[in-house]
Amino acid sequence: MSGAAPPAAARNLEEERRRALFLGLLPALVVLSAITIVPAVFLVVTSLTPLNLTMPQTAWDFSAPLVNYLELLEDPRFHNSLLVQAKLSAGTVVLQLLVGLGVALLLDADTRIRRLARSGFLIPMVLPPIVVGIIWKVIFTVDVSPFHRFMAWTGMPVGSILTNPDLALLALVLVEAWEWFPFTMLVVLAALQTIPASPVEAARIDGASAWQMFRYVTLPYIRATLVVAGLFRLIDSIKAFPLIFVLTDGGPGDVTEVTNYYAYRQAFTFSLWGYGSAIATLLVAGIFLLSWLIDRLTGRMHGEAA
Amino acid sequence: MTEAKPKRNRRRLLKAGAGGLLLPLALAARQAPAQGGAKPFAGVTLNVSCWSATYPKLLADYLPEFTERTGIKVNYDTPGFPVYNQRADLELSTKGSAFDVLNVTFIYTSRWIGAGWFTPLDDYIKDANKTPASWDFNDILPGSLAPMRDKAGRLYGISWLTDALIAGAGRFDLFKSAGLGMPDTFGEMESSLKAVHNKDNVPGFLTENHWGWTFIPYLQGYGGNVFRGPPDDLMPTLDTPEVAEAAEFFARIVVGYGPEGAAGYTYDQAVEALRAGRANYSTNNQVFLALMGADGSKVRNTVNFGQCPRGPKGRFPGIASHGWGIPVGAKNKDASWEFIKWSMSKDLLVRMADKHGLGSVTRRSIIESPAYKAKMVINGVDVGQLFLETLKFSAQGHMAYRTVHVYPQVNAQITQAVGRVVSGQMKAKESFALAQRNAIADLKRAGVKL
Repeated sequence: MSGAAPPAAARNLEEERRRALFLGLLPALVVLSAITIVPAVFLVVTSLTPLNLTMPQTAWDFSAPLVNYLELLEDPRFHNSLLVQAKLSAGTVVLQLLVGLGVALLLDADTRIRRLARSGFLIPMVLPPIVVGIIWKVIFTVDVSPFHRFMAWTGMPVGSILTNPDLALLALVLVEAWEWFPFTMLVVLAALQTIPASPVEAARIDGASAWQMFRYVTLPYIRATLVVAGLFRLIDSIKAFPLIFVLTDGGPGDVTEVTNYYAYRQAFTFSLWGYGSAIATLLVAGIFLLSWLIDRLTGRMHGEAA
Repeated sequence: MTEAKPKRNRRRLLKAGAGGLLLPLALAARQAPAQGGAKPFAGVTLNVSCWSATYPKLLADYLPEFTERTGIKVNYDTPGFPVYNQRADLELSTKGSAFDVLNVTFIYTSRWIGAGWFTPLDDYIKDANKTPASWDFNDILPGSLAPMRDKAGRLYGISWLTDALIAGAGRFDLFKSAGLGMPDTFGEMESSLKAVHNKDNVPGFLTENHWGWTFIPYLQGYGGNVFRGPPDDLMPTLDTPEVAEAAEFFARIVVGYGPEGAAGYTYDQAVEALRAGRANYSTNNQVFLALMGADGSKVRNTVNFGQCPRGPKGRFPGIASHGWGIPVGAKNKDASWEFIKWSMSKDLLVRMADKHGLGSVTRRSIIESPAYKAKMVINGVDVGQLFLETLKFSAQGHMAYRTVHVYPQVNAQITQAVGRVVSGQMKAKESFALAQRNAIADLKRAGVKL
């Protein structure tokens, strides 16, 4: 009979099933909590103290729990680091998407040479970031750099890029894009494989130009993939650290000092773990916000696709 | 790691099947030296760490000798300078027992010693049972030990390195061609660099971009200082006219007479460029600049050395010490002291100097020995004597700024401030006024009452 309550035996069975599922999940939940939630909670708790390693008693000083956050509101170096972070993230994500998309479109055919090229283009992404940093350190060091020597040989010498305050951040954007455009290339290539042949063929028969084919056929199919790839790269760009550590150390001055590099300085150079934790907490909050945004966007796009 | 010989004897005896009667004898033979005091620390393992410099790297080759002699095994590592400092700072702050011997880094001496993170060594030194007179503690340069003491005079580290900032010119032949000697004053330095810059395509000046170290002799030479009255009055004094004047001078030298991108050279890059003759004159640590006269250097036959130039207010060469210390949480402090004694013994240091040309020692008897002096004469210049003369300037007390516990904060501000000036982002006055504001904020955050 519809609408009638399920019999007691069925309810018990369902409860048993849920309990079994929960017990099965419990070890994974415990491990997950231990490796993610506990450190995150510790980070937030530390951010509420003025913890200074040279004064261990400050670890439990909760007398002014918001003092670090209030100081951050008035810290011009923190504000500058947010601006630098925004510039770096915007520049590198846009460049990665454009280059990744362009290369993916060029390689979207199953020939031997293109297969080889795909593998070759993946190399920067699989290199350890420190190795990438060293490679570009050599390229940007004027007196040993093949690039600088070549430019000098052509009669168009290029000055030092990493010590030029107008170019240092741009150099980081280029290197970050070089390292990570293969990610966009890969996901776009995968999306291109899913485009059905019929609309492409129909557009071709209708005499669409290459640009029209891309604009009205290809792009609508890969739009969702591009947005997700962009957001993933945006989150990753906030974690930029090794390249800055190796190439510029945040300089010249503070033009490449992004927010997590500033947090690193406060915690590891100055031993101000409370203040560093407050910066890190805000970064984590920002990343959570972006993750939520990704979830919403992908959900909406899947809804549209359905 | 070396394995103790008695263990091998025991194994051989067991293999020989003499077990029943001979085993107790063999075990007794193994234990006898320990019970008799010959190897009282046999079986102890020490964890030792130091940043990667010439001496600690050379020391790694001699560790089996220490294990052979004492029965102490050593887990030893020498990470890079910043990595070491971060790791040690974190470990020391927990007062943990992960390390038995650590380097007391110069810029952290006040912080680490002041916080009570190291063990006083005076009792070990005074105890004849633990330190025989032949070890000759008084032979170690008192000036190098001074930063390792607290306000009460207790000693927390045995210095293995004292480094002094000197001047070196890899292509001194270009100076001579221009009729010039090694510059003695800031004024002579600037006019000399103007004369030799880009001669034979060699830029005139290069130093490492750790400006919190390489700029300070100029800052002090113009009459400025980092703090108002270190180590007690830690109000930063970075916004004074003297500091701005020094920064303007320094930026003129670095940018005007340096290679392209001079502001981006780390110490290893700067040293290699100087050794390859890609830059001429530098003011930096004696241990770095002496490498211009070592094997593989292209300028070993043209190099010359001199004192760091003096400014209108005097000569203020940077002087820094690093030493071995025992963390307060170390479990085997007596064994740790054995390691320090061995690693700083005359015998070992003499062998390191003879065989590997170790150029940075803190024992006067070695520095003044004819053999060492002969090694430290580089292209006719007695760098050892130059080093000893430079150390005398420490009596001025001008290095007090560097041994305060919050210097890392101000060091970062100075490095950024000079970076802004040499890259043309800001004028010296503006940049150092900003550094002053930031430094005050950083020091207050660190709990300093200003």
